[in-house]
Amino acid sequence: MNWRHIDEILDERRIIITCGTGGVGKTTLSAAIGVRAALQGRRTAVITIDPAKRLATSLGLEELGDRPANITSEIISAFRKAKAAGMTIPAQFKEPKIGRFDAIMPDARSNFRDFLRDLAPSAEIVERVMSNPIFQIFTKEFSGANEYMALERLQAIDSMREYDCIILDTPPSRNALAFLAAPKLLSQFFDERLIRWLVLPANSLVASGMKKALSILERLTGTGFMTNLFDFASTVFAVRVRFLANLEKTMDLLESPDVGFIMVATPTPETAPEVRHFIDILSKHRFNFDGVAVNRTLGYLEPVPSAAKSPKQQRPYEVLTALISREEKALSGVGSGATPLCAKLPELARDVHSVEDLFYVAMALDPDYRL
Amino acid sequence: MTKGRPEPAFTAAQVSGILRRKLVFVSGKGGVGKTAVSQGIARALAETGLRTLWVCFEDPLQEPGVIRQHGSKLWYLNCSAELAFNEYASLKIGSGPLSKVFLKNKLVQYLAKAAPGIHELVLLGKVWYERTHYDRIVVDLPSTGHGLAMFQSTKNFSVLFTGGPVHRDAESMIETFGNPAESGHLILALPEEMPLQEALELSGFLHDLFPENPPGFLVNRLFPGVEQTRQSESEADQPDSWPTPLAKSAADYLHKRMILENYNLRLWRDRKIPFGVLEFVPPPDLSHSKESVSDVLSEELKRRGYL
Repeated sequence: MNWRHIDEILDERRIIITCGTGGVGKTTLSAAIGVRAALQGRRTAVITIDPAKRLATSLGLEELGDRPANITSEIISAFRKAKAAGMTIPAQFKEPKIGRFDAIMPDARSNFRDFLRDLAPSAEIVERVMSNPIFQIFTKEFSGANEYMALERLQAIDSMREYDCIILDTPPSRNALAFLAAPKLLSQFFDERLIRWLVLPANSLVASGMKKALSILERLTGTGFMTNLFDFASTVFAVRVRFLANLEKTMDLLESPDVGFIMVATPTPETAPEVRHFIDILSKHRFNFDGVAVNRTLGYLEPVPSAAKSPKQQRPYEVLTALISREEKALSGVGSGATPLCAKLPELARDVHSVEDLFYVAMALDPDYRL
Repeated sequence: MTKGRPEPAFTAAQVSGILRRKLVFVSGKGGVGKTAVSQGIARALAETGLRTLWVCFEDPLQEPGVIRQHGSKLWYLNCSAELAFNEYASLKIGSGPLSKVFLKNKLVQYLAKAAPGIHELVLLGKVWYERTHYDRIVVDLPSTGHGLAMFQSTKNFSVLFTGGPVHRDAESMIETFGNPAESGHLILALPEEMPLQEALELSGFLHDLFPENPPGFLVNRLFPGVEQTRQSESEADQPDSWPTPLAKSAADYLHKRMILENYNLRLWRDRKIPFGVLEFVPPPDLSHSKESVSDVLSEELKRRGYL
């Protein structure tokens, strides 16, 4: 297996973006990478866009918002507790120089308003956009706007240079890459040639085909929608130049050597094809792929001799054994070839609810770590 | 094998009631097994002789837009927004030269691609349209947020378009999806904290959208043995009191897993939510057998009396 150690990635990148489908433990893993970075003396921020508030739960927090929540002291006390409990602590962490750990969950809606305020030439335009029903749908919590705002927020936080390490936990999706499609989708939306058609509908140069198409559209959607659409397009038109410049800056940042992508996956038969697909798309975007973190593995469990099992235990053991053998196949599938593995983490016996448990996961990110 | 009767806490009635509807929407957090379970439902329905269509949306690993036969009464569709948009437009404008002018228009193509909510609207529109061609349709919705957004944008469009055919169609769609005589919503979860929690939030949102059509709840991948573990045992030994988050051996892991799953399910039990369960069936080894996960799940659904 081709390993790329998480510490090596942390040394090389200022920003780590974790991607993956739902339920793989992406948020917990992102937080654990953050804890490890903080224990190495880095000023660290973990940004999550998961609407499920998993990050708050993993950190044992009641809630989390746009303002950074500093939990550095919790990490220090988790470290002391682990030491006192006799947990194995690798040499590099014996006398840690603890940096800082902030957790942030950006609020897409208010960020979008701020973002527009920055871009728009006047406050009046901001108000006009915000009150347009099309825009209101546009920023509904789950559209691509949310994903895009996360990248904007990432860039804004990074540009303050307050952090040595930023981990971005992307929203869960069926396809680990749906997240990456958002900026492109939005840039299509701001395509100047096309907005012009909407902004200048009465233009005498408008071709007859365009007139026909617009009249059909109006017949299908009603006049109210068309009025809103023209209005929306003209406000979008007003901010497009700065928007596109900003987008380019964000994309440049994502392509830069400061940023690395990690895919989080569970060891199932679907993992290997998903990983290949992920790497393909990343390279098309010219983004840096740093490795696969395989989470929730069971292979570490010591097997039980079959004589020791009661009849009631037979079925659970059968399932567990089947899962472990499926996992071995999946791991050899993912680990074959040049694909680097950056972590292989055990399935925990309980959900992570505290910085103490997170501390354990942060240690276990090292493939050589044994409890 | 746990062939015995399920414990009273797990109930078949509500789930089977939902699965009797013409349109069944399966939703839930990512990774809970919506695809396999919805395929299992479709398979079991088809086996009873009903012409059944299983629908998923924009799966990048499958060919888009084509309806493929998967059995004598079973069809699969990977619904594509682009194709559904064209189809819808042709349906409304007719397939003549006018429709060609419309669909080839750059601005229309642009709006179809970039305008928020259009994708969701036409994808659900396709499901709604196909309902007259099949006895049953089982829909594999995208995970929580995106699945909800699909219904939400249909509702938004019925408000946004103040006249014209799109408005009327969006209204009818909302009515169909909210009508318990026609549609059922099944929320799928795992016996894990976040999926169970998210299911509750999802059911709240669904209630706002379709107040007359309460969803059914189903827990997938319940570890075998959990149903036989006494709840009192889980109460006495709470996961947060364990000294380490890790299991030491396979035996320790199984013991803790039984307790943990029961402990997690309290989230629903305490709220008196009736729910069904499907036992964890690890995917059969595909190199040795032609059976798929959905085959196994369809058997499990029948064994439990849900179908």
